[in-house]
Amino acid sequence: MRTEKSRGKGRKGQMRIIEALLASFLILFAIAFVNLFALTPTSQTYEASELEKVGFNVLHDLDEQSLLERYIQYREWANFTAALTVSLPTDVYFNLTVYDLNWRVVNTAAPISYGTAQVFSSSFVASVVYIVPGYQGVYSPKILVLQLVRG
Amino acid sequence: MRLGRGREKKGQFIIIAALMMAIMIISISSIIYSAVTYFKHERWEEYVVLIDSIKTGTSRVVEISLANYTQTLTNTILSSNLDRWSNDVKQAYAGFGVILTYTLRQGTVQAYGVSINYNIGLNYTWYKSTSFSAANTSASLSLASAGLTGYNFTSSAFLKETILAAKYYDSANPKYLSKYLSIYLSIEKEDLIPITNLKKDNFALKVDGSDVPSADLSFSRYFSGTYSMFIYEIRYSVTSKPTGVSVTATDTRSIRVIANSTVI
Repeated sequence: MRTEKSRGKGRKGQMRIIEALLASFLILFAIAFVNLFALTPTSQTYEASELEKVGFNVLHDLDEQSLLERYIQYREWANFTAALTVSLPTDVYFNLTVYDLNWRVVNTAAPISYGTAQVFSSSFVASVVYIVPGYQGVYSPKILVLQLVRG
Repeated sequence: MRLGRGREKKGQFIIIAALMMAIMIISISSIIYSAVTYFKHERWEEYVVLIDSIKTGTSRVVEISLANYTQTLTNTILSSNLDRWSNDVKQAYAGFGVILTYTLRQGTVQAYGVSINYNIGLNYTWYKSTSFSAANTSASLSLASAGLTGYNFTSSAFLKETILAAKYYDSANPKYLSKYLSIYLSIEKEDLIPITNLKKDNFALKVDGSDVPSADLSFSRYFSGTYSMFIYEIRYSVTSKPTGVSVTATDTRSIRVIANSTVI
């Protein structure tokens, strides 16, 4: 009789552990699921610095592939625009200006941009500066200024 | 007997439960750790990208300088370009307090399977069956705004041309329909990575010291089972067996190298 009773107590203890485990998993899943729909508040400083990082990375990737200097040297502005459009997230608008070392605009005839001018009047504009030294034996640095806005 | 079995089962169950709990605790602690340390690393990310872009830019300057050197043989071009680059980087990233200094490689270095004798960071060893052009510099970067000093890195550019064979095929041999010369060569860059995207215009051929028009050459590129590597083959019709050939190769960065070989 005593043996049966103690076995019952043991099973009860196991069930408690199972319940505790299930409850913990339930809480974890709930947190993970809610996180999918969470809209984090945007701070002006945080958003701009995030966009700056994205912009810097995109320009650096293009530079690593030796594409930046080619676009600038041969004035392939349409290809440059296409490369940025493909590389940046779809909800990010951009405007890139190429300057020489005396801060004269090089791409005057063809703007490298995506998005209307009003978009860039927002206060959430991130700005990235990048320097490209030259191409194919010619040292002729150009400074790229990339403005980014999330749409 | 039955009591004993129940106890054994309970023991196993507690071990499983403890393991699962441990997994959960470890998972949660890793999330908490990354959340706590996020902003510690985050503030460096901006500088990491900036350092990467300056490193890439410095490598480009070395490539540009080597290309210029192999075209003009002006041996001060690397130091001159790096001086300008240090100054231009400081101006372009004005808010960061960038200070870039450099030391040009001097003396003999064994690298990429050859002996490179650098003189103020540059070297060309041409007119051999294995010829190369090389540039190398060590740079040190400081970012005053981040309190970073003495970040050292090396930038180099290299182009090697190897004439594997220059063979004359004579129509006196019934196996060949005409008399022609075939040159088999390989082109490699830094870390001995084969360059596979060169075209006919990237090569110029001299046979016994005379220039051969590009239109008279037939050109192909393929992986050779004989040499176990990617090679270029340049074919040229001749009337008699030539003595020597010279092939000038210029890569997409405009770095030039000239290799010579005797015809067999």
